[in-house]
Amino acid sequence: MKPLHSIIIALIVILSGCNGNNKDNLNEKASVSALDALPENPLLLSPITFSINPNKAAMSTLYGNKIAFQHAKTKADSSYPNGAVLYEVNWKQKADSLWYGANIPDQIISVEKVQFTGNAVPKYELYAGHPLKKVSSNDENKRIALILSKRMAETP
Amino acid sequence: MKKGLKIFAILLVAFITLQFWKPEEIEYSTPTKDLTNVPAEVNTILRNSCFDCHSNTVNLAWFDKITPANFIVASHITDGRKALNFSDWDKLEKPKQSATLFYAFNKILSGEMPLKSYTALHPSAKLDDRSIAVLKNYLATIAVRKPNQEIPSVTHPKDVEKVLPNKKITDYSKVKPTLNNISYIPNFRNWKAVSTSDRFDNGSMRIIYGNEIAVKAIAEHQTNPWPDGAIFAKTAWKQKTEADGTISAGAFIQVEFMIKDAKKYEATKGWGWARWKGNDLKPYGDNANFDQECISCHNPVKNNDYVFTTPLHLDINKFNIYNKTK
Repeated sequence: MKPLHSIIIALIVILSGCNGNNKDNLNEKASVSALDALPENPLLLSPITFSINPNKAAMSTLYGNKIAFQHAKTKADSSYPNGAVLYEVNWKQKADSLWYGANIPDQIISVEKVQFTGNAVPKYELYAGHPLKKVSSNDENKRIALILSKRMAETP
Repeated sequence: MKKGLKIFAILLVAFITLQFWKPEEIEYSTPTKDLTNVPAEVNTILRNSCFDCHSNTVNLAWFDKITPANFIVASHITDGRKALNFSDWDKLEKPKQSATLFYAFNKILSGEMPLKSYTALHPSAKLDDRSIAVLKNYLATIAVRKPNQEIPSVTHPKDVEKVLPNKKITDYSKVKPTLNNISYIPNFRNWKAVSTSDRFDNGSMRIIYGNEIAVKAIAEHQTNPWPDGAIFAKTAWKQKTEADGTISAGAFIQVEFMIKDAKKYEATKGWGWARWKGNDLKPYGDNANFDQECISCHNPVKNNDYVFTTPLHLDINKFNIYNKTK
């Protein structure tokens, strides 16, 4: 009987191992890491809209702080008030392993910060690399214009 | 020895008697024509692996006709046809046909289909890697947006979306609850984004919002199972191609909620399921059991507490560690 018992126990252990729930099901790779030199974690701000760039297999989400989000929600224009902060977070895409037909965020390529300080032109910062570090940008004006052209995704 | 023979004889008689007891006759063998607009190779695979339970054309093996096996077979076929019947293919509109094939293919990829109990006795119905590749390549051609498609940057958007008149709903208490008694939750736009999804299969794009309890659960790694009170709002928009080839959120399609309450929603896997469609937020579902459809689609991810979304790690504390050491 004893060997039979140990076989049954071994089987239970093996089978429960197979059927066990995935404990850590987070998309760590697509998240901000403790090593990224960002002024704050943009993923914790309010999502305004998102976009996809199929040519680069990339996807981006536009986040705003409270002031920026409130503005985006109520006014459909780019004249954000003083104190508004926007973040455009750009991810590489990867195929969703749970649904053929979908792409989800992979690693963050870059984070762009647009801050309204009262000056005519908002302050622009670009963070790129792994981990993310502040770098200089060649097409700052173009990027600011593009980010400010985005409107809140519409829901009824 | 004599006793053994007696038992065998009794069993044999019982078995033969059992054979007079058969399940209610179901339509077994009406020929199903090939699926319209689907290549022959794909048709062959579907016919071979799916049609026995998902069409009116059934090829039964001799052992399928023996009682009690025939009862199991009959119930599989009835359930299978209810979920999807390829004999009704022509009744579906084209987008629904595509959605059906993507849905079926994902059931195959997840290992849920064909049923293991079926392939154990009908090994030829199993899909090999080559068949999977054939289906995958075919699906890539019918996706609304082709995967990794290069969009030329000068073309103008093909279908110019009508800019919706701003008929935003002002009184959300007038939005009808779903038939399983879930009320609309209007404030999800203030929640955090748990993830985003680019559904090139049907040309939609989604932000999956999580409420405070869901976000806290992520920070604390308590996401499997999710705690009571966690709510997700999966919001879908049409993909709208801009002049520069990028895609932005176009017309609103629907918002779907999953509300966790292990006790209250015990009968529906611990979640309350709800969906509101279109700008008038019409509750989805013809009867109170519409949520079975939600569950059956989410079933392949039951080991993830029925949640498809792999959440971004929204950990406030982790980030602060960096700021402290800076």
